[in-house]
Amino acid sequence: MLRQPLSRALTLSSPVRAAPLAARPYAAQAPPPPEKVEVFIDDKPVHVLPGTTILQAAALVGVEIPRFCYHERLAVAGNCRMCLVEIERSPKPAAACAMPVMKGMRVKTNSDLTKKAREGVMEFLLVNHPLDCPICDQGGECDLQDQSMAFGSDRSRFTDIHFSGKRAVEDKDVGPLIKTIMTRCIHCTRCIRFASEVAGVDDFGTTGRGSDMQVGTYVEKMFLSELSGNIIDLCPVGALTSKPYSFAARPWETRRIDSVDVLDPLGSNIVIATRTNEVLRILPRTNEEINEEWLSDKSRFACDGLKRQRLVTPMMTDSRGNLTPVEWEDAMVAAARALRDCPPGKLLAVAGDLADAESLVALKDLVNRLGSDSTCTEQYFPLDGAGIDLRSSYLCNTKIANVEDADFVLLIGTNTRFEAPLLNARIRKAFIHKDTDVALIGPKVDLTYEYIHVGDSASAVKDLATGSSSHEVMKRLEAAKRPVVILGADQLKTPEGAAILAYTQELALRLQDKLEDKKWKVLNVLQRTASQVAALDIGYQPGVGAALQAGPQVVYLLGADSGVVSRDQLPKGATVIYQGHHGDAGAAIADIVLPGAAYTEKRATYVNAEGRAQQTLVAVTPPGKAREDWKIIRALSEVVGQRLPYDTLDEVRDRLSEISPALVTYGDVQDNNYFAQARSLAQSLQKPVSGKVDVQLKKLEDFFMTDPISRASPTMAKCVQAVIKQKSSKY
Amino acid sequence: MFQVISRAARLSRTPLSRSLPAFSTTSQINGRDQLGRHEAPMIDNDVVVASPDEKQQKSVLESTISVPVKVDLTPVSGVPEEHIKPRRVRIYQPPKNAMQSGTNNIHHWEMEFDNRQRWENPLMGWTSTGDPLSNMKVAFRSPEEAIEHCEKNGWSWFLDVPKIEKPVRPKNYGLNFSWNRRTRVSTK
Amino acid sequence: MLSSLRTGVQGVLRAASRNIQTSAALQHDSLFVHRDTPEDNPDIPFEFTEQNKKRVDAILGIYPEGHKRGAMIPLLDLAQRQNGGWLPISAMHKVADLLKLPRMRVYEVATFYTMFIRRPIGKYHLQVCTTTPCWLRGSDAVLKTLVEGTGCKVGGTSPCGKFSISEVECLGACVNAPMVQVNDDYYEDLSIEDTKEIIEKLKKDEKPKAGPRSGRFASEPLGGLTSLSDPPTGPGFGIQDALK
Repeated sequence: MLRQPLSRALTLSSPVRAAPLAARPYAAQAPPPPEKVEVFIDDKPVHVLPGTTILQAAALVGVEIPRFCYHERLAVAGNCRMCLVEIERSPKPAAACAMPVMKGMRVKTNSDLTKKAREGVMEFLLVNHPLDCPICDQGGECDLQDQSMAFGSDRSRFTDIHFSGKRAVEDKDVGPLIKTIMTRCIHCTRCIRFASEVAGVDDFGTTGRGSDMQVGTYVEKMFLSELSGNIIDLCPVGALTSKPYSFAARPWETRRIDSVDVLDPLGSNIVIATRTNEVLRILPRTNEEINEEWLSDKSRFACDGLKRQRLVTPMMTDSRGNLTPVEWEDAMVAAARALRDCPPGKLLAVAGDLADAESLVALKDLVNRLGSDSTCTEQYFPLDGAGIDLRSSYLCNTKIANVEDADFVLLIGTNTRFEAPLLNARIRKAFIHKDTDVALIGPKVDLTYEYIHVGDSASAVKDLATGSSSHEVMKRLEAAKRPVVILGADQLKTPEGAAILAYTQELALRLQDKLEDKKWKVLNVLQRTASQVAALDIGYQPGVGAALQAGPQVVYLLGADSGVVSRDQLPKGATVIYQGHHGDAGAAIADIVLPGAAYTEKRATYVNAEGRAQQTLVAVTPPGKAREDWKIIRALSEVVGQRLPYDTLDEVRDRLSEISPALVTYGDVQDNNYFAQARSLAQSLQKPVSGKVDVQLKKLEDFFMTDPISRASPTMAKCVQAVIKQKSSKY
Repeated sequence: MFQVISRAARLSRTPLSRSLPAFSTTSQINGRDQLGRHEAPMIDNDVVVASPDEKQQKSVLESTISVPVKVDLTPVSGVPEEHIKPRRVRIYQPPKNAMQSGTNNIHHWEMEFDNRQRWENPLMGWTSTGDPLSNMKVAFRSPEEAIEHCEKNGWSWFLDVPKIEKPVRPKNYGLNFSWNRRTRVSTK
Repeated sequence: MLSSLRTGVQGVLRAASRNIQTSAALQHDSLFVHRDTPEDNPDIPFEFTEQNKKRVDAILGIYPEGHKRGAMIPLLDLAQRQNGGWLPISAMHKVADLLKLPRMRVYEVATFYTMFIRRPIGKYHLQVCTTTPCWLRGSDAVLKTLVEGTGCKVGGTSPCGKFSISEVECLGACVNAPMVQVNDDYYEDLSIEDTKEIIEKLKKDEKPKAGPRSGRFASEPLGGLTSLSDPPTGPGFGIQDALK
């Protein structure tokens, strides 16, 4: 065990950490901060803003105060009393989480009084806490367990000689994701605060009083939120645990691999817990610039879909048209023959929602070498005007973290709550903490916060863009110092998509030009899938419509499962090669199936909606005969006779960096430019629009199953059922 | 091989150089200064009376000279080539466990090899692996130490700098009750 | 020396023996979760009467903008009175709608306060104080009389549906012990006969006379004043003559 108190203290007290970060310049642009006050935590001096709590000040000098109810991303509750500290010349210990610092305050976090106070609190907590750690899923990663090691008594004064039993509380049914064992609850109210502040679904509360108080929903009700899984993490004890993961493993048995989620376009950072080549659960990993420390339910619980419906062996259609397992060799030869015999220009490659940048570039290189130029993505993006030539037109330019500094947000045709739940959580954070107002053009959906509804007609976008709108939102947008406009990718595939995009660009850039803050970006296009940005960066054509009309002879589907390519659209006798990891829509129409790896099984690059490249790491190895995707394409190129010039992942990434260095600067995101050019190119597209702005994901039940992994997940299926059942309930 | 390393270094230069000041000597001096802010400086009497030449001589004798030498252990380490050339090391700071509040055991840097196949031992159900480096997690104080260690052993590495820093925003119990702000929690 | 040794020995003994203290596990007799019953489920509509709607407006008018949720307890009380002494779940929903609050916030308040009764209750809610002063003055007999007279168990409702009896802690009328609260009225200084009479009258839906039954007006001494009975003394009282 490596301990380095000196270097840790230095790191924490160094000015670099305390200073505002380069990545978040807007957070510091508030009015000039008031003068800092000096306080002493265990005799270490620290300068903090007035109003800071003792607990926060202590964190700055690396002193960790035990806590249960306090959570830095939730409101202060001050009800567990575990953070009691002694303050010099104060008659009683004070709760550090709620006590603001005062000038010259001397806090002792390790004194006898402090310890005694914490021991008292701990004893009371344990009186009503069952002694069931051996059968508790939180065991091994339980705050109560850990802190009772430090502050718990070695013997109990709780003597139940009448065998009347400890407090027992009835368990609640809050859905298929969260298992409740309410007897273990220590009433920290973190789940209640999360539900009301972050998730925006005020369904949890405390009922009763005194020793009969219980946390729950009072009526039988499912926790209808897309972020519900986070209360499992928040719960400091085992009262709320994961239902799909229940009794599966202990934390010390699992191997944790840091990776990136690909089930929504944000690329949330995750930790994959595995054991014996099996993904057991997925937890969020803190990344302040993307997901903070939350994770959406789909990203967290769809991992059981990785074990089901998998393609584990190459397959080919037999004489009766049924897919039958074959050896890699046969499948490769058959695929290579189909590719070689395909006349140039009659080859089409379609990339799906979960394709990684390495396999995208390998497939494009192969297709190009075979004399064809049609590589497409499933999601459409208008090619008129600047199209995909300028990166700024298809990215979230404001950046996810900066959205919380916005002072007005306009959503056009997007239900951020289900398309990018954590972006929505950021908007809600801005709504609550910065009094940001939100307006929506599109169908009335529940975004978990109040918004100004501008109607659902596309002409509203036009009116705002041309400045002819008389709606109050026009004035609000023009008065805003840091406005944000977010356009949903659902709009782009409509016939009026190009015009809506052009108007959105016009509106955003008109606002942007007037801003005092020249660095603030207004325009955001929120993609729907994890692969789209990388595919567009690499040069894939968005949408398959035009390519299908050319009558392709061979179609190579790289995980294309959203059903935009179907047998009816293909000429008779066309060969479909499907490479992917799940037996879904793509494999169903395929003649040759090449089993690939899912995102937990390969080291691969994904670019999120902001244009931030991140890499997944190998958590488990692909099942059966499945292989990493870029390697399959590389091997196939050799069989076809058009050898791709890369043998290792590093060489593929060299190729990626030739295309765009942004694809391999992992973890970082660049600022985009050329907004003015995009705007001028879009001028000609500003045609009259008359349609309605609609979104695909309207209700919670639409959210859970959107891609091959979540469609294969039984947990997600249960969620859909439970939500539909809850909708018919009276509560 | 070297190309790979230099490329990796290039790739991860941005995050590395950003994290550097936190570990550089300047910040150490600052840190010390901050801690001892109220103390008068301690001055050694010998230093005060010494002549400039003596001072220089003394400082030369006291300072350590580091000579940049590229040490390559691969020819003598006995590690088979298959576990040197194709392996990649990830240097990272362990993430906080989302299930817990404590952060005491995550203030260091670790290195870890790429993950290879594991399987369940059919007899006992234990996890087996054919990878001798599978459990080689080494802890370091700083990423530089880890990088140096990897370079010595000839492993190509990449650095993952976690994005965990955020501005401190004072929290306030009173915000729960503010009547005209949305921070007022519905429970209060 | 010897005494200090003894103290030391006692100290050792005290440390060696465990201090066993117990108290009965007290659990509230009402549930803190909702269960749908034929009498109480969200399908049963609840609406304030016209008269009460005016009261609702008046109550809401007291509270300033931004603090309207302060009206929750008065509104719940109004709903409970309108609904015959108990608060159905649909009434809570109604109050939540009026205050534009999540329903959970109303459930929290309604379960916290024991005077909100969340299950059907008799027309007359007999709350018998059995705390020490009343108990010393014979509240057990009063309770027994009530139980026998109404045929209703403590914590239950009588077969006729008219009476409910609860045993409660101090209601703050110790000077007039023993006492019973029936809905909003206090019946004090009770004897068994008084209690029987109260039950009989209530059975006939007549209103028994509220207040002390001992002939007192309020809580003054029964046998006349025992102090302060003389007229007040004038200025200079008790001062020695020399100082007058």
